[in-house]
Amino acid sequence: MGLSMTINGDHLTSTADPVTPLVDVLREDFHLTGAKPVCREGFCGACMVLIDGNPTPSCLIPAALAQGCDIRTVEGLAANGRLNPIQAALEACDAVQCGMCFPGMVVSLTHLLTTRPEATRDDIRAALTGNICRCTGYERIIEAALLALATP
Amino acid sequence: MDTPISGSVYVAPSLSTALDALHEGGSAAAPFAGGTWIMRAPIRHEQLKSRYVAIGKIPELHTIKVDADAVEIGAAVTHAALATALAELGEFDVLTAAAGHSANPAIRTMATIGGNLATTAFAAADCVPALLCLDAEVEIASRDDRERTSLEQFLTMRSTLAPGRLLHRIIVPRRDRKTVHARLPLRRAGDYPTAIVSLAMILDDAGLVETARIAVGSVEPVARRWGRLETALIGHPLNAAKAAEAAAELADEFAGRDAADVPGWYRVRVLPGLVRRAVAALGS
Repeated sequence: MGLSMTINGDHLTSTADPVTPLVDVLREDFHLTGAKPVCREGFCGACMVLIDGNPTPSCLIPAALAQGCDIRTVEGLAANGRLNPIQAALEACDAVQCGMCFPGMVVSLTHLLTTRPEATRDDIRAALTGNICRCTGYERIIEAALLALATP
Repeated sequence: MDTPISGSVYVAPSLSTALDALHEGGSAAAPFAGGTWIMRAPIRHEQLKSRYVAIGKIPELHTIKVDADAVEIGAAVTHAALATALAELGEFDVLTAAAGHSANPAIRTMATIGGNLATTAFAAADCVPALLCLDAEVEIASRDDRERTSLEQFLTMRSTLAPGRLLHRIIVPRRDRKTVHARLPLRRAGDYPTAIVSLAMILDDAGLVETARIAVGSVEPVARRWGRLETALIGHPLNAAKAAEAAAELADEFAGRDAADVPGWYRVRVLPGLVRRAVAALGS
């Protein structure tokens, strides 16, 4: 029996073992390769996805427990092909570097902008404690988040 | 009961079905709460169990009940939910800080208090010393009974719990006390703490320490109370410098655990500094 999931609005089925980390199902079965399996420990945030609206490291959730949830990956954040506010701000601030951490950064910051429009610089830093940028490009990322928050 | 005959993850809808499934699964089965430890088993070169009973959807395990005498916390309450629920109760500052500053925001919405207490091999769990200094008790459920014991006792027996048993809830007595959680991660955010000192103090009318509860986490493989330091502080006013001096004299009773992040001696070396910070935070 397959695992049924709703990913970026699509109803998809996987035959993966139920304990398979969601990130592997996303990448291997559904070819959604935005989420990166980097540390596989929930430290780095490169595999972050939104599950029922909450940023979740997809390396730590078994596929079986993702059933029945609304899963949104970075591929599903630009509605109708239009960048969402944080994606646009990250581009405007030239904040993208190697790209390894970026899908996770976008996911975490999309949640922050949605849930805390009054967020301060410290709030942004706190929200990103689970997203590691190996290029140490944090300052531009934070500037982009501030820009997105300030943009009506 | 609709427990499936096969399949490696059973999502239990209720406590009774979870206990039935754990009982029937025996040693091949284990509870699965937040999963933040279990899902990393391959990194630790450990085998996953053949069957998990997911307890995260059981409403009863997500409740936090605040009464005049005690706070009862369901085992599947997440760190984030716990920190939010206790934020206005000053006597639980130690637990609010432990739950609210561990790991990172996403992990805090997944990791559960029950998992933090029941994971034998996780020495750096923040909530364990915090709950030790609050004199917490735990209730262990099985299909046939409930057993209540002190957290201290639970820590000695958790690795040998019989199959089919589940940490059900945590009971924390309410007292008029001052509490604080001091932790030292290598980086301010995200890392496991090198060492943890959790304090709970009751002062008498003259401002002298009447009762002291001091718990140390992450230094040794299992968190524990620091009884000799507690005794040394009783009867004296809160004084951060003197408390740190006492801690420095007594710290050699700890055998720090070596790990990839820091050597054992370092964990012991920082204890007096953490005691100083903790006592200072109480307003000494």
